[in-house]
Amino acid sequence: MTNAIEIRDLCKSYGDFSLRHINLTLPGGSIMGLIGENGAGKTTTIKCILNLIHRDGGEISLLGHDNLREETLAKQDVGVVLDECFFHDSLRPRDVGRILAPVFQNWDHELYGDYLDQFRLPANKLIKEFSRGMKMKLSLAAALAHHPRLLILDEATAGLDPLVRDEILDEFLAFIQDEDHAILISSHITSDLEKAADYITYLHQGQIVLSESKDVILDSYGRMACTAGQLEQIDRADLLRVRRGSFGCEGLVSDRAAFRRKYPDLLVEKTTLEDIMLFIGKGEAV
Amino acid sequence: MTGLILKDLLVMRKTVRSYLIFLLLYALLAVFDIFPLSTVTAVTELIIMMLPLSAFSYDDLAKWDRYAAALPLGRRTLVGARYCFALLMAAAATLFCLLLSVLLSIVQGALLAESIVSLAVCLGYGILIADILLPLCYKLGVERARPYMYVVIFVPVLLFFGAYQLGLISSGTFAALEALPEAALLAGVGLAALLPLLGMGISYWVSCRIMEGKEF
Repeated sequence: MTNAIEIRDLCKSYGDFSLRHINLTLPGGSIMGLIGENGAGKTTTIKCILNLIHRDGGEISLLGHDNLREETLAKQDVGVVLDECFFHDSLRPRDVGRILAPVFQNWDHELYGDYLDQFRLPANKLIKEFSRGMKMKLSLAAALAHHPRLLILDEATAGLDPLVRDEILDEFLAFIQDEDHAILISSHITSDLEKAADYITYLHQGQIVLSESKDVILDSYGRMACTAGQLEQIDRADLLRVRRGSFGCEGLVSDRAAFRRKYPDLLVEKTTLEDIMLFIGKGEAV
Repeated sequence: MTGLILKDLLVMRKTVRSYLIFLLLYALLAVFDIFPLSTVTAVTELIIMMLPLSAFSYDDLAKWDRYAAALPLGRRTLVGARYCFALLMAAAATLFCLLLSVLLSIVQGALLAESIVSLAVCLGYGILIADILLPLCYKLGVERARPYMYVVIFVPVLLFFGAYQLGLISSGTFAALEALPEAALLAGVGLAALLPLLGMGISYWVSCRIMEGKEF
């Protein structure tokens, strides 16, 4: 099966910020969550994938097509939802369908209408009267109505209430039922990714610091708590990151079970993606 | 590309509608001989050729370009659609003025040939404005390109009046023009409309180069 996205050695420099040697593969039939702090390079990576900015080096292919040499072909089966709704306030959902129909070879008016109904979006209402949630659902309907095989979403659920986010996540899960489909989603809302993603890629200061199956991360990574004295007794190779506080120390471990066997007296518990982000973003390297 | 042209029309349907009412009003003034037809023709071409520039403003407001660049179209198509929209507007304005000229030639017995000459010159000027301003809008954005719009529109008018005041152009100049052989006059008028049309190719090429270097 062709990978939905393949990124090889992607580099992009802005002077004060660089995206360095990004390698990433998104297999078909899966959802990859792209996480990282603000300015870590998530949006820059997505912009490079969509050829919105000029990269300094590397190669990117979408559904087997080079995103520069075969840009039109590569994007034909891609649905995009970015962090805002880019449709003009004076348009109506019905107009959006008329505009996008000639853009995509596989545009399906009926499917688009179904999505508008499903998301309870009035086809004849002006977009300026829509709430943010409605606008994002419209963007999603527009992204799905041409039977895409790959969805690329950049902070698409940011600022939405839990109900709308849940509705959109359900749609992602329905979309991914087809094994030929894949989703790349960048988000700060790690709980959403814990629900939906198969793979997690963590970008930190322009580099990938973690790219792994979500189940592997959540099953094997752990958070260890101890005193400063106990921390000194731990082999540094057994810890990924450390955070020192006034009440004690915490460490991030990559193999919870192995750590527990080696240090039976220390408390190690399951961790979350948010914990991992905090450890990597604010913790010390060991 | 048709989707993008349709987008411009749909986004500006209210503006187009109000312009149309305004132009119909002007046409009535011409029919009742309150305004000369040549003035109505010039105003029509000028107003209509502002629409492609307004399209940039609307796109900026919606940040449309970022979304459009993510679509499977390519940047040349995005530029091409805007130029096609400008040409479509020029054609619509020309058709409107042509119909008005025919009407006035019937109602008032105005000289159709004379109206067509002024129409051709106004069309050429309208397209020339687009030739210069569209690449500037791509390069600078519509807000920063706006002062240049006033320069392009008003400087030729000011130069003309300046030359007239200084005596560089006089009634004798117009008499000399009228004395030219008909073929030469027609060729001159044809060129006035055709050259800006050909210039649109260069303008499109420049805009494509600018667009290809852009990051969204």
